[in-house]
Amino acid sequence: MRRGAGAEEAPRGQAPTPAPIPIPTPISAPQDPDSDPDPGPGPEERIAARRRRIAARLDAKRRQALGEDEEPKEEVEEEEEERRSHKEVEESQQRLAKLLFEGTQMVTNIQVAADSRETQRRAEEAELKQQRLKKLENEAKSSAYEFEKIASKWALAEDVTVPQELWQLLNQQQQQCALLLEEKNKLIGELQQELKNKDEQYVQAMKKQSDDIHLLLERMEEQIRIMLKTYRHKLHHIEKAFEFERRELLDSNRKKWEEAIQAHNTKELEYLHARMRKVEEFEKQLNQLRVQDEEEYNSMKIQLENDVQNLERQLQQTKAAYLLNQEKLEYNLLVLKKQDEENTIIRSQQKRKINRLHSSLNNLRTKLDKQEKQFREENQSLAADCERITGQCKEVQKRMRHFAASDAEKFTELWLMNEEEAKRLMRKALDADRIIHTQQLGLPWEQPRHWFLNNIGPLRRCKAKRMATKLAAEVLAESSCGGEEEKAKEEEKEKEEVGFGEGGKENIAKAEKEDVSDRERRKESTAKAGDRVTPLPNISKKTTKRILELLSDESGFLIERKLLRPLRALGKHERTLLRLDSIFSALEINSEDELQRLVDFFLKCKAQEEPLSQGSPSGEDVTDLGEDRAGSEAGARSAELKPPQGPLGSLPSACIHADDVLRILKAFVRGFDKPREKTRAAKEALQVRDSSEDGEYWEALAHVIPETTLKLWDALLVALEEYYNVLTRRAGLLAELAELQQQNLELCLMLERCSTSGVSLGSLQTGDTEL
Amino acid sequence: MQQAAGRSRPIPSLRRSQSRLTADSYCIHRIIEDPEWSLAAVPQLTELCLQHIVHNFTQNPILDRLLPEHQRKVLDRLPTDLPLAVTANLVSDEDYWKRCCTERWQVCDISGYGDSWKRMFFERHLENILKSFVPNTTDPNQVLELIPLCKDYVRKLEVDQFLPPLKVDPEEEADDISDSGSDLGLGEVPIHHYDLGALVTALPYLEELHLTYGVKDCGMNFEWNLFKFTYQDCCNLAGAVKKCHKLKVFKLTRSNVDDDKTKLLVRSLLDHPSLLALNLSHNLIGDTGAQAVGKLINRSKLETLDLCNNKIHHAGAQALAQALAQNCTLTSLNLRLNYLGDEGGEAMGRALLANTTLKSIHLGSNMLSEPSAVLLSQVLAQNATLTSINLSCNHIGPDGGKQLLEGLAGNKTLTEFDLRLAEVGQENEFLIGQMLWANRHATRLAPQPQPPAEPL
Repeated sequence: MRRGAGAEEAPRGQAPTPAPIPIPTPISAPQDPDSDPDPGPGPEERIAARRRRIAARLDAKRRQALGEDEEPKEEVEEEEEERRSHKEVEESQQRLAKLLFEGTQMVTNIQVAADSRETQRRAEEAELKQQRLKKLENEAKSSAYEFEKIASKWALAEDVTVPQELWQLLNQQQQQCALLLEEKNKLIGELQQELKNKDEQYVQAMKKQSDDIHLLLERMEEQIRIMLKTYRHKLHHIEKAFEFERRELLDSNRKKWEEAIQAHNTKELEYLHARMRKVEEFEKQLNQLRVQDEEEYNSMKIQLENDVQNLERQLQQTKAAYLLNQEKLEYNLLVLKKQDEENTIIRSQQKRKINRLHSSLNNLRTKLDKQEKQFREENQSLAADCERITGQCKEVQKRMRHFAASDAEKFTELWLMNEEEAKRLMRKALDADRIIHTQQLGLPWEQPRHWFLNNIGPLRRCKAKRMATKLAAEVLAESSCGGEEEKAKEEEKEKEEVGFGEGGKENIAKAEKEDVSDRERRKESTAKAGDRVTPLPNISKKTTKRILELLSDESGFLIERKLLRPLRALGKHERTLLRLDSIFSALEINSEDELQRLVDFFLKCKAQEEPLSQGSPSGEDVTDLGEDRAGSEAGARSAELKPPQGPLGSLPSACIHADDVLRILKAFVRGFDKPREKTRAAKEALQVRDSSEDGEYWEALAHVIPETTLKLWDALLVALEEYYNVLTRRAGLLAELAELQQQNLELCLMLERCSTSGVSLGSLQTGDTEL
Repeated sequence: MQQAAGRSRPIPSLRRSQSRLTADSYCIHRIIEDPEWSLAAVPQLTELCLQHIVHNFTQNPILDRLLPEHQRKVLDRLPTDLPLAVTANLVSDEDYWKRCCTERWQVCDISGYGDSWKRMFFERHLENILKSFVPNTTDPNQVLELIPLCKDYVRKLEVDQFLPPLKVDPEEEADDISDSGSDLGLGEVPIHHYDLGALVTALPYLEELHLTYGVKDCGMNFEWNLFKFTYQDCCNLAGAVKKCHKLKVFKLTRSNVDDDKTKLLVRSLLDHPSLLALNLSHNLIGDTGAQAVGKLINRSKLETLDLCNNKIHHAGAQALAQALAQNCTLTSLNLRLNYLGDEGGEAMGRALLANTTLKSIHLGSNMLSEPSAVLLSQVLAQNATLTSINLSCNHIGPDGGKQLLEGLAGNKTLTEFDLRLAEVGQENEFLIGQMLWANRHATRLAPQPQPPAEPL
């Protein structure tokens, strides 16, 4: 029992079914039907398939190689050739692997068979065990039932009193017990039988196991033997293949080597022959050359001998000349020695002289130094004097200016006082005139419009300097409008002139300007109406405009950055104006004068560049005008600027090139500061006004009432006097009348009083009517 | 002139010495006039010295101070029965140990011992002592004395027998074997085997431990007691293994290890720093033991696990499968001759769908049938790491075979697929075999494309 249930590894019972694997004899091992179910076509097919696969793989490799580089195709071919040994190796590898696999399969078959037997045995064992258990249980149950039956009868036996019965019962019980025991014994016997069977089975299994192990050993040995044999065989084959290959390779290499050697030998032979030939040739040439050289040598020798003779002759000649020369030179040497002595004497004398002169020179130098010092001192004292004097001068000037200013003030005060008085008087006269007109004559009266009416303060002769920009604007505007507009302007001016007497609406400056220009025009008989308006009288308007435009275009760098953007939005004209404005501010050009100078400078530069003699008479007028203006307005204009003015005006405006603008501007700015200083000083001095027109002014004030009005007034006076006489007479008459009426009234009263009386009345009435 | 004089002086002195020498040799010549005498017959002094050294090696082991050629000679002549205490740490010459081994054992294969004769000698010597060790009778110092001598050389211990302590009862010895066995098993105090703890912990380089608690060649003296692996033994073993940190391979086969002992062992092996292979084949491990092993799989570096011929049913298989699904170290699993059944087989199949490290699995003789085959065919189609499957001795049937064939159609890694006695039909088996050949060829070519070019 215990052994049967033991956990022995070896299968104990031989399976009732035949062994699942028919164990083959070791000799027929390679073709084990179980491990290789289809042995016939198997190996060949597999080998073929393998070969096909290898071929495909090689093909793929070759293709890949072709894709990458075309050239190694040949190499591939060669490799193909060489791979015979590889194929051999590959093939043997396959075969050996297969053999190995099959061998191990065969060896392990035994284990697998044992395993399967064991599982089968286990399954059967489990079944048997279950059966046995069931059987035992059944038996236990039935025997327990029997036992109970027997046990229950024991209780019954106690009740039985009759001995026979008791004996009988006991016998029965004994029999039954015996039966029970027998059954149990039978079971035990069966189980023991089974145990014995199992023992036998165990022994069989042991035997089987030992058989199996023997078989296993046998197979393993067989396997080892076969493997060794095949390995050796294959190794031999592979070695053979390699050797064959090696031999082939050696053969081919040897062949190649021999060929190369042979080729090399033939070539070597050829070279040798060629060399021999060349040696012979060269020997021949050498001989020839030797003969030639000998001949040459001989001729040369003769020639050289001749030369030697000639040279010897020459040598003798030169020797004679040498002797001659030697004597000459010796003589010369003597002469020179003497001269040298003389020279040394002279040199010493000279040296002495030089020393003397040096001393005198030093004396003179000291003197010079002294004098220089003296003069420097003098110069310094003089410079100090000069400074002092200039300071004094400046002070005097300042004082003078101060006095002039105070004088002017006083003058204006006086002027204002007088003017006020005159104005009062004038107003009185005008009032009178108005009263006369309106009251006496019954005519409408108009306020006379005179320029002087509104004038307060002394008359300003010098025209207020227009701002440079304004001037430029005017120039540009006028020139842009063209000639027609000029004419129109002229007319306008005339109109204004006409309307002078009428209104004083226009501002003083303008009026004054107009007046001045008007007067000037009147003064100059020449019809320079167009030029009159231009601020720069000596230069043609076009030129000015041209220059200004050039300036605005070229000197954009002077304009402030932030101004540039808003400029773009404006029209061309305004843009130019604004630009000019900013350029002028950058150049510090404020007044008309300065602008004029700028333009002049431009023209001058131009003229200097093209020194054309254009002193044409047509420019004379302009010059005159310019001079006049310069005299009246800006007399301080430097004299240097004047001379070229004349020809400048007539210069073609287009002559100034855009590229020159900058250069000229630079020169102008450099030279601008000096004249400006001068002008400023001059301006203050020039506040002196000329009183030529004062008289006229006052005259005008006095004659505010025209002659015609005065005459009218005279006539009116006469008439009024007459009228007065009439009126006085009439007044007398009126008084008389009043008196008479009084009398009449009194008479009337009296009459009435009389009438009351009646008679008297009538009489009275008649008296009245008679009156 | 002077030089000539200088030369002339030493010459007479030389002559003088020569003359003296001739006088001496003349004397010697006289002593040995024997014509048969020859110099070759006289042993050299060094030879004699070496001989002496060899004879007295036990008392005075001189080896290190000799010249190399003399060392060689001494080693060649040393007797193999010298006490180990002398030679163990002094002699490292392989030839000497080879002589020792071949004299002592008939079959010697040093390939299993790292090609070292010395290691082989010491390992086998220790194994022999352990095999014949009888607790309570043999002096434990016999083992302990050896430890300092062999601790540097022993890497592997392969003990396939542990003797039980002797029972001193002649009466029972005379009785029927079976009866006495039963009586002994019940009546006596539990008998324990030799405790490896002291030995194993004293061997610093021990890497492999192969143990079988049983008696070999008991013949008709069979007793169940001889094969008893007590709980105490197990406790001792577990403690020893736990202390052995360099252990890589642990085999405990044919030792009646049941579930409780498995649990005990597993507990001591959890988180072992170096254990790579565990073999518990031919034991009595049931489902609970398998569950414990499953736990161990994921808490160690195990790469190989052998549980063949145990009593694992589907529950244990499911536990193992669950562990396998998460594992990434195990490469080989052997469950041959268990009782997995289809339930366990399917669980294994599902685990293999998730696992990507296992290379080899043995499910032979496990009462698997078609359902398992269906799942395994899925595994074959998906898994790309498995190289070997063994399904021999199962009842898979021709339909299951067809399924497996279909699954294998897309597989390129499997090289071994054992379907012997699986009733899958000859055609299927043949086709599968062809596919395997293709795969094998591919794997053989793929990793080594260079070697064919080398012979050129």
